[in-house]
Amino acid sequence: MPSAGSAVAQDQLDATFTALADPTRRAIVARLARGDATVNELAAPFDLTLPGISKHLKVLERSGIISRTRHAQFRPCHLEAGALEPAAAWIEDNRRIWAERFDKLDAHLRDLQRGPAGDPGRTPPEKPAPPEGRAPSNERNGQ
Amino acid sequence: MSNSAAGPAELVFTRVFEAPRELVFECMTQPEHLTHFWGPAGTSAPVEHITLDPRPGGVFETVMINDADGSRYPTRAVYDEVAPPERLVWTEAHSGMTVTVTFTDLGGIRTGVEIRQVNVPEFARSPEAQAGFRTSLDRFAGYLAALSAGPRTRSTP
Repeated sequence: MPSAGSAVAQDQLDATFTALADPTRRAIVARLARGDATVNELAAPFDLTLPGISKHLKVLERSGIISRTRHAQFRPCHLEAGALEPAAAWIEDNRRIWAERFDKLDAHLRDLQRGPAGDPGRTPPEKPAPPEGRAPSNERNGQ
Repeated sequence: MSNSAAGPAELVFTRVFEAPRELVFECMTQPEHLTHFWGPAGTSAPVEHITLDPRPGGVFETVMINDADGSRYPTRAVYDEVAPPERLVWTEAHSGMTVTVTFTDLGGIRTGVEIRQVNVPEFARSPEAQAGFRTSLDRFAGYLAALSAGPRTRSTP
């Protein structure tokens, strides 16, 4: 992929994806997207002990995805949504590249087959479709 | 679906084409076809820069050129598996990603193409990711994008 991966800090991407590898942590992120929450509030829906939830929060905090207020009594967790941008951008970039390739391939296949909707007077730029049932071969080195 | 099975991060894209499977497969393995679609919008993939040898261990090299400024994006991969007209697998040298393309005959002249990318940039090297990443990244992408577009106070560099 041309731009995917190279322009962004790989370590940060790794940390972000690692942190998001766990379904509980993704659910925590989803909850925090609606607003800050305390550890108790976050633990409630997950049937997790406080130490259990704290482990997840530490991973998210280390990766920069969430921050916690240091001095407030209940130390509410806050989503640092900006930390997700490189990961989201990488995935979207990769998706876009394939989507655009597939759009072009779709058009190319239509040209090749010259369906009823195509221009009947036009000669396809490539050779026509190969016959069905052609024997598999490994010798397809760009003819 | 559980997080107990080991599995690397993966991205999955699918598309259905109105064409016979053999033809779609040939489009993915012949330079004179690839040049028509390999470069995403705003780029081209000149046929003279496409080198491929579709057999295990064979190379798959392309250069995508930005139409606007002429920037070049060479890619280099090696085929792991070539099974016409069903499956193609290659591993990219620049990213380490392994890409599996599966062609499914859907009847009539419809062909389903699935692109499955694993080892999404080194994320899988972490044991934690190996153990936990069972959700397809692409489904999570829109969600992430929505989150990053939402309100925020400051971003972490």
